[in-house]
Amino acid sequence: MYFLIISFGFLLAMRGARPAPLQKPVEGLKRIGREATDLFLTMSLILALGAFATAFGKSPLIAREYAILGPGLAAYLLSRYQKKTDVFFLAVMAGVFMISSERHGLVQGIFGAGVVSAGIALFQSCFLGLRYKLLFSHMPVSMRGWPNLCLLAGFISLVLWSLGSLVF
Amino acid sequence: MKLPESLFSRMFLAYLPFMVYPYGFFKAGVAALWIVLFLWITVAFFWFFRRFFPDRSLKCAFFLWLIVWAQAAWTLTKLPPYWIASVFFLAPVSFLEETAKPGHVRVFSREVPRYFFERVLAGTGFAGFVMLLALVREIGEKRLGMHLFEQPAGMFLVIAAVAFLWKNQPYRRRG
Repeated sequence: MYFLIISFGFLLAMRGARPAPLQKPVEGLKRIGREATDLFLTMSLILALGAFATAFGKSPLIAREYAILGPGLAAYLLSRYQKKTDVFFLAVMAGVFMISSERHGLVQGIFGAGVVSAGIALFQSCFLGLRYKLLFSHMPVSMRGWPNLCLLAGFISLVLWSLGSLVF
Repeated sequence: MKLPESLFSRMFLAYLPFMVYPYGFFKAGVAALWIVLFLWITVAFFWFFRRFFPDRSLKCAFFLWLIVWAQAAWTLTKLPPYWIASVFFLAPVSFLEETAKPGHVRVFSREVPRYFFERVLAGTGFAGFVMLLALVREIGEKRLGMHLFEQPAGMFLVIAAVAFLWKNQPYRRRG
C-alpha cells in the first residue's frame, strides 16, 4: 500500500486536475486537503456500493468475479461527475482495488481509504513544501526538472517510511 | 541525435503505477511486455476505428476499453489493474481531445509511419526502462540486501540518476 500512496501521490501532484500552485503554498495546502477529501469520499462511496452489492443473494460471487469492471465504471462515473482528471480516476480505481483485495469488511475498507487519502495528502504537502523552498535556491540547470523532482520524492518517501516504521 | 525529454517523461510516469507490482525481474518483464503489446493494440485500434466514435464519446470509449481489458486480464491471469495507468501515460492522450480532428488524416498517409514509430519507440523504451529498474531492484534488494529498495525511495533515487543522465546527454550532430 505504501508503494501505491507514493506512486499516485506523485502522479496526482504532477498531473492532477488543479495542481497546487507553487507560488502560494497556503492555497496549495488547502487544495491538497480538498483533493484528499474528494479521494477519500469517492473511494469510500465505491467501497460502500460494493459492500451493498455483495450483501444480496448470488451477487457476492458476481462481485468477486467482476472486481474491476463494477468499481472501475463507478470510479469513472464519479470522477466525471466531479470533473476530475483522468489521473484521479486511475488513482481511485487502483486504491479501491488494492483496499478491497486486502481488507475484508466495509469499516476496514473505509479505514484503508482514509489511510491512502491521508498518505497521499501528506506526501503531496511535503512535496509542495520542498518544491516551494527550492524556488529560492540556486539549483544548477542540469538538476532542474525530473532529476530534482525524483530526488525530492525519494527523500520524502524515505522519511515517511522511517516515521511509519517508528510509529507502527 | 538527442533523445527527447518527452520520451523520458512518458516512460517515467508510466513506470510509477507499475512500481506498485511486487514482481521480480521475470514477472516484471512479462507484465511490461503485455503493457507494450496492449499499448500498440490500443493505438492501432483507435487509429483505425476512432472515426466510428462520436468526438464527445471518444474519451469515454477509451477508458471503457481500458476497464474492460483490465477486467479481462484480471479474469484470465489475475494481473492487478494498475497496468492500465501505465497504458494511459504511454498512449498519446492528445487524440482524445475534442478539438483533435482525426478525419483529416488518411489511413494511408505519410503521417502514419511517423505516428506509429513514436508509439513503437515509447513502448520499446518503456519495456527497457522497466527491465533496467527491475534488474536494479532485484540486485539491490536480493543480492546486496539493501533495505532502501524495499520501498519507493530506492527506485526514485535510481530514476533520479537516470533522469540526470538523460537530461545531460551529449548532443551529437549527424555526419
